Amino acid sequence: MSDRLAVRLGPLVLRNPILTASGTFGYGLEFTDFVDLAKLGGLCTKGLSLKPHAGNAPPRICETPAGMLNAIGLQNVGVEAFRREKLPKLRALGATVIANVWGDAEEDYVAVVEALEDAEGVAAIELNISCPNVSRGGMLFGNSPELTAALVAKVRAATKRPLIVKLSPNAPDLVASAKAARDAGADILSLINTLVGMAIDPETAKPRLSFGTGGLSGPAIRPIAVRMVYQVARALPDAPLMGIGGIASLEDALEFLAAGAAAVQVGTANFKEPGVAGRLVAELDVWCAARNVAAASLVGRAQAGRAPAREAGAEG
Amino acid sequence: MRADHRARHLRTERYGPGLFSSILEAPAFARAVRPGQFAMLEIPGRVRPYLRRAYSVADARPESGEVEFLVKTIGAGTAALEELPTGSPVGLLGPLGNVFSLDDVPRGARVAIVAGGIGAAPFPLLYRALAEAGIAGDLFLGGRGEKDLAFRRRFDGIVNGRTHLASDDGALGEKGFVTEVFRSHARQTPYARVFACGPMPMFRALAKIVSELRLPAEFSTEAEMGCGFGVCLGCVIPAAEKPFLVSCTEGPILPPEKVAWEKL
Repeated sequence: MSDRLAVRLGPLVLRNPILTASGTFGYGLEFTDFVDLAKLGGLCTKGLSLKPHAGNAPPRICETPAGMLNAIGLQNVGVEAFRREKLPKLRALGATVIANVWGDAEEDYVAVVEALEDAEGVAAIELNISCPNVSRGGMLFGNSPELTAALVAKVRAATKRPLIVKLSPNAPDLVASAKAARDAGADILSLINTLVGMAIDPETAKPRLSFGTGGLSGPAIRPIAVRMVYQVARALPDAPLMGIGGIASLEDALEFLAAGAAAVQVGTANFKEPGVAGRLVAELDVWCAARNVAAASLVGRAQAGRAPAREAGAEG
Repeated sequence: MRADHRARHLRTERYGPGLFSSILEAPAFARAVRPGQFAMLEIPGRVRPYLRRAYSVADARPESGEVEFLVKTIGAGTAALEELPTGSPVGLLGPLGNVFSLDDVPRGARVAIVAGGIGAAPFPLLYRALAEAGIAGDLFLGGRGEKDLAFRRRFDGIVNGRTHLASDDGALGEKGFVTEVFRSHARQTPYARVFACGPMPMFRALAKIVSELRLPAEFSTEAEMGCGFGVCLGCVIPAAEKPFLVSCTEGPILPPEKVAWEKL
């Protein structure tokens, strides 16, 4: 793969703009039969907490039109087991690892980041302030610009690594949250996490998920995600963005780049087609080669010549 | 090795309304799969269902490259599979999951296979392994009525033990639950192992019976799966000694004592 796919997001240089999204790619090692991890722009780990976390009771997932709802509840092995058992293998495979971290409270986030600070093989930290499936922490931080700012500032002080903040599409004012994260020291913003949704069994009249609500993902949310990336890119033209939301094809990835994302994360499609991210890297290379363009030149093309006034009506 | 196989639909064999075998050509898969494993199946290009679905592998014939699934039509995906034209591509991710264990069952021993309705799905391939290992297997197949027992025909000529049918309404075989029919025979026959697959009430009842009779057992469990290879963590089952078992990677074959049935 040539340099034409390399992208820079602030302090983070990636070999290409195709990454995999947290919660949809395990710890990466589950995919080695399907993807050469070294060929990806990067992989975001399952959300790591200080202690192992069991997650929510089943049923945890259900299919919805062109997507799915999940309320896994951030089940993970904990940061120590990740460091000990997963990270060395990822390093050996040449993966660019982005550690996604979460906690119930500010000090938990900081503790996870500190536990990784001297670990070799972590390219960046992604702060999950947007998980809708836990009763504490997660989205509660992301939905308030004040809490976002306070948390990001504390984590910023705890790490020298590139810091990505994953934004919640459920925030009352996405642009305000994005600004708060950037002003508090986020190098990069990733968006969007899942949208809060619900499905009810018409026979039993009970929610299909034991948690009640869940996070909606898959192609169903793609237009919303594209709009949000476009909107944040417009409001914060200097902020490097990673676009996430229902990406399953090269066209989808190009759409996000055009909207203003410098890189993208493939999510739910990994469940359906475990080799999808590797396929998109290869397809993007062919696409760029055929047009003799660099991937970095594709970022934000949809922004050019657009009047900023259009955004007012889209504010939720 | 597991892979994202591109299979080809060969033929459908029908046992009754909405009950059929789907036979695919997937030579590498046929060579790799072992009894109890499953595949995540999709018909490419279909919008619904969006996610793949897990199907127990019913049989595999390495010599012809054929892989077979027993299917009951319950929704959009199974309906599409039932009507699939010959030659159509089918995505087959797998083989996935753990396997029925026979290694510690001695040659000449006798095992029991207890299946409810579509729970018959994983057992033709197990019978192939039993025959090779010289182990006899008694089949206990149950259902609500005669219709649910249509899959019995798939077992004609492959059961190297006795066959016991049971139906709730008594229309075919013994009247009553298959678990009770099994219980009455298991008291007299020292089964080396019990293999089971069926609906949740059957599993619950059978878990009690094998515990009372102190019979080692392996259940082919079912949970809604998003990915099938341990990533989405959607298919967890409440466990006895820890919070959850991940059905797709720690199972689907689980000893019943590892499952917290009261939480299901």
